[in-house]
Amino acid sequence: MIPSKFDYYSPATLQEALSLLSEYGDDAKVLAGGQSLVSLLKLRLASPRCLVDLGSIGNLSYIHEDGADNLLIGAMTRYAEIAESKLIAEKCPLLRQTALVVGDVQVRNRGTLGGSLAHADPAGDMPAAILALKADLKATGPKRDRWIKSEDFFLGMYATALEANEILTEVRVPVLNDRQSAYLKAARRPSDFAMVGIAVCLKRAKNGTCEDVGLGVTGITDKPYRPQHVEAKLRGQKLDPAAIGAVAQSITEGIDVNGNIHASPEFRAHLAGVYLSRAIQAAIGS
Amino acid sequence: MMDFDKLFVTRDWFGKPVRRNEDVKFVKGEATYVDDIDMNCAHVAFLRSIFAHARLKKIDTSRAEALKGVLAVITGPEVAEVTKPLPARAITRPARQYVMATGKVRYQGEPIAAVVAEDRYIAEDALELIDVEYEPLQPVMRIEDALKPDAPLLFEEAGSNTLLDDTMEHGDYEKACREADMVLKETFRVHRYSSTPLENWAIIARHDKGTDSFTVWANDQQPGRSMTTVCGTLQIPTHNLRLIVPESGGGFGIKLAIWPYIVILCLLSRKVDKPIKWIQTRREHLLGGTHAPDGIVEIEMPVKKDGTFLGLSVKDYQNDGSFIHTAGIYGLIKFATMVGQYTIKATRMEVLSIATNKGPTVQNRGVGKPTMTFALERMVDIAAKKLGIDPAEIRFRNFVKPEQMPYTTPSGEIYESGDYPECLRKGLALGEYDQCKKQQAELRKQGRYIGVGISTGVEPGTSNLGYYYTSSGVPEYMGSGEGAIVGVDYDGNINVMIGSVDTGQGHATVIGQVISDMLGITPDRVRVDNTLDSFISPYIGHSGCYSNKFNDVDLGAVIKATEKVRARIFTLAAHMLKADVSNLKLGDGHVHVTNDSGKKVSFKDIAALAYKKITLLPEGMEPGLKEIAYYRNPYAKLPNKQNFNVQLTHSNSCHVVTVEVDIETGFVKFLKYVIIHDCGNQINPAIVEGMAIGSTVHGLGATFLEEFVYDDNGQLLTTTFMDYLKPVAATVPHFEMGHHYSPCPTSLLGSKSAGEGGAIGSLAAVANAVEDALSPFDVKVTSLPLTPEKVVKAIKETKVI
Amino acid sequence: MQVKVKINGKEYQDDVEPRMLLVHFIREKARLTGTHIGCDTGNCGACTVLFNGRTIKSCLMLAVQANGAEIMTIEGLSTNGLHPIQDAFLEKFGFQCGYCTSGMILSAYVLLQSNPQPTDHEIREALEGNLCMCTGYQQIVESISYAATKMKEAGK
Repeated sequence: MIPSKFDYYSPATLQEALSLLSEYGDDAKVLAGGQSLVSLLKLRLASPRCLVDLGSIGNLSYIHEDGADNLLIGAMTRYAEIAESKLIAEKCPLLRQTALVVGDVQVRNRGTLGGSLAHADPAGDMPAAILALKADLKATGPKRDRWIKSEDFFLGMYATALEANEILTEVRVPVLNDRQSAYLKAARRPSDFAMVGIAVCLKRAKNGTCEDVGLGVTGITDKPYRPQHVEAKLRGQKLDPAAIGAVAQSITEGIDVNGNIHASPEFRAHLAGVYLSRAIQAAIGS
Repeated sequence: MMDFDKLFVTRDWFGKPVRRNEDVKFVKGEATYVDDIDMNCAHVAFLRSIFAHARLKKIDTSRAEALKGVLAVITGPEVAEVTKPLPARAITRPARQYVMATGKVRYQGEPIAAVVAEDRYIAEDALELIDVEYEPLQPVMRIEDALKPDAPLLFEEAGSNTLLDDTMEHGDYEKACREADMVLKETFRVHRYSSTPLENWAIIARHDKGTDSFTVWANDQQPGRSMTTVCGTLQIPTHNLRLIVPESGGGFGIKLAIWPYIVILCLLSRKVDKPIKWIQTRREHLLGGTHAPDGIVEIEMPVKKDGTFLGLSVKDYQNDGSFIHTAGIYGLIKFATMVGQYTIKATRMEVLSIATNKGPTVQNRGVGKPTMTFALERMVDIAAKKLGIDPAEIRFRNFVKPEQMPYTTPSGEIYESGDYPECLRKGLALGEYDQCKKQQAELRKQGRYIGVGISTGVEPGTSNLGYYYTSSGVPEYMGSGEGAIVGVDYDGNINVMIGSVDTGQGHATVIGQVISDMLGITPDRVRVDNTLDSFISPYIGHSGCYSNKFNDVDLGAVIKATEKVRARIFTLAAHMLKADVSNLKLGDGHVHVTNDSGKKVSFKDIAALAYKKITLLPEGMEPGLKEIAYYRNPYAKLPNKQNFNVQLTHSNSCHVVTVEVDIETGFVKFLKYVIIHDCGNQINPAIVEGMAIGSTVHGLGATFLEEFVYDDNGQLLTTTFMDYLKPVAATVPHFEMGHHYSPCPTSLLGSKSAGEGGAIGSLAAVANAVEDALSPFDVKVTSLPLTPEKVVKAIKETKVI
Repeated sequence: MQVKVKINGKEYQDDVEPRMLLVHFIREKARLTGTHIGCDTGNCGACTVLFNGRTIKSCLMLAVQANGAEIMTIEGLSTNGLHPIQDAFLEKFGFQCGYCTSGMILSAYVLLQSNPQPTDHEIREALEGNLCMCTGYQQIVESISYAATKMKEAGK
């Protein structure tokens, strides 16, 4: 299993990388951690003419606060770094919890947040958390940066709102106090892609009802999504099992649920409801 | 079994968990597997069929040949011109197939052409430049489809997709049905899976122009047979092939089918002036290298109200895919121990081998017994439920009793020893069966569903290879045996070669233990070379690592060779010490005179006489101190449908498992997993334990995770470890092991098979536990794997998994 | 392209195609064959090495991505006798065919650096990226647990 031939560039600056993308257009692929892309190259399911490796660009891996109640995370920050970050553990435990269940140890040591999001695997874990957190993603193009809302970022199977000449460079996660969160996934084995993954980030009012909630769903359809209709139903609700159960099944309403050898569309839809309930309960218990 | 007082001088090593110090290379990354051999090889890559069933209209390799760095290309038709077709063994209908596709392809992944290039990168590039014109044919994937009267034929010359259909009847089955209170019937399905050794197949071939001979390095599991099949297929004299088997990264039967690729590599090596190497990719391995067949087992069991099993009838459909060399074997080996641990007096088995457009099959760990035991032990639980008898109790009522040993089954299989009731008693105690049952009732009230499952199974070993030919009637192989060379070195240490190979069983350590106790030395003085070299090693047609034969015939050969050496040591020592042999004894690497405490001679001095000071040897005695011996298990019967023993040793095990089923998600969690294992005398208990647990995890993989899934077009959907899911550390339970020791009277060391029991017993144990957990929902388990989806669907709708 | 990598403290430099996998560089250019290949897709972990101190799968990296990196393979774990983890794998029968062992030991090595006294459950979780087809994992878990105890006793 050997990749087809390609030109390889390891630019030292973002500007250089961007100009390579402009030059090669759709013939180029951006290489971040490579934990998905290198497999695809080896299986020759992807045969780009050019690879632009972001590995030598120094300033794409960081986790810090912006002073305006946001966490800023560089796109080349690896899962392991997210999982080990004290700042993230304190300010955004959902990201830590999610990063810890991506793939296995070795994958987490190489794979990056930006790579996961830009690759847009329909069953990726990180997208679910990013959606539930209502994060924003920074696309850097040859002329300017633009911010894309996470809910607008995932367009379909391995397809995102990034233009061919743009690179995802940063993720901005709002730091919200009094949140409770959880990410739960159903997978045949712990390190597998999710048959269903549900991320929940919610705020409860003093009376215990749901004041605000963000949800991210992965593994269900051709892209990770944020079920805003379910969020709306949950807002103002008491969060007891019966009430959660009543809305849980609507999580796949209007969604074209995918099937594969591990789970049919019907079973996935069923699991989505079960896991939404469980994820909310886990969040409350967190 | 030998008299240990006569066999052993010391008892310091036999039966102890001696460290595998010989194998320190494995923990240091210093072992030499085929791919590690540095020979400046050119590399081979295979072009494989993209269709499951198609005629090959045209293969054009010119563009590939023109690629810089490509050294040679070979195609199926070219191979067929210079080779003989594959030898079939078990099937009775004519079917013609070559090591490479010619005329048509019969599975997705069948090799059509092969490229040799300067490196593997160029070789893979060249594959994309070979143009193949296919005429797709309708694929036949399922047994039911293959049996339809208008089904497309895999082998037109066979006139049918059923390549073997034979019925074996023993005892009076009709009478059993007449006497029964009821005849239970059920159909079970077992899917395709494979034990997938971590090291894929690997071959290096080098051609010598001067002699037109070949030297091949391959991780072959049965080199004894491969020597004849490869040479027969190539139509070359055996001495023109030198086959060398270095370290091998796991086998589990899967590496028994590598030999067709050795043929292709040899032909390719003739075309180029350097050694060539093929390292199978995992995708290739999963596509076609190779699988255990899927199958359908239709069972009838006449029973009495008191739970007595009177008879057993099995119609066994095996989806053998498209490899005629193995087709039919699974059914024939299944029938041998179809009665399991029970005194069932009348049996009937119809064995059907069905050809389809699925990938090739080969003898995967346990060979058919996992399927047979799954079906039988499920049937036992179904009977228990029907009759209102506890599953443990119904087993006790039907077990072969220890006082019946040796017990001959209706078909002639001889269970040499074993205490099945005691093993189950131990299993129930260690598995806390009664407590779990109580807990089950309590937890159900809380909406939690736990279940306990029992499975007992016979784990046969040392295959009597005549069984392949039970139906076809022309045995090429019979019995089981192995060869060994044991010698004393110049410095008095021991060196050993055997005809077998090691795929992870620690043979060197175990051989060292046995020889040390036979010669009164320490294992660090015994060096075993596990490399098989057909020019040097003492191999026979049966040589290799399969069917749990090592503890029996491999060690048998080692013992016989060591006895010969020991006798020579005594003869030489007697000469040197001027004493009578009857007054000598061994100890601490010396021969001592028993009556005179001071007089002794070291192995080193004896070796000096044998190898160097040969003028001083007694008159007429030949120099040297090295002996060769071959050993066969003497209890193998001649192939005979009426009375035949397919295997020559019979271990047994009992699994008691407690699981909890999450009824919302279908996930199953292990709460307790107990294995009671009886393989007679254990030579190295730590190795036995590793085998028992490792094989159990193979069974668990098959039960929950692993499945080769094909779509209707015959495309395999599980061609990577992303989709073909293997157990990982976090998904398997901690196993509690218990042992029982029923020495085998027919093997020299009282030992029996140890490598397959878990793969045989675990499927049914878990299935029984899951069904027990789901009994409030009236769910019946008749198939595997137990995927979350199937579990939930059965609870909610179908009631059948 | 020129690639310069330090493996087990020694520098290796070679001109390679960009598509060359790191595992092939390690095995065929540096001729360190203790790192194995068991699958195509980064699922089996037989090719696990330490990359700047962390475990990675060398079949999911290009050699050119490793330019300037420091790598440790199984051959670099102990130049003088056996590392306690290696010894433990012998003592507790943590291998059968040996093919996964290099990766297992390196994963264990990194685990014990960050968590010197792991529970069995933590060990099993740390091995999720390493497949063993032979042992059923139990004796591997026992080996690592034993190594942890021995290393603690030895104050390593």
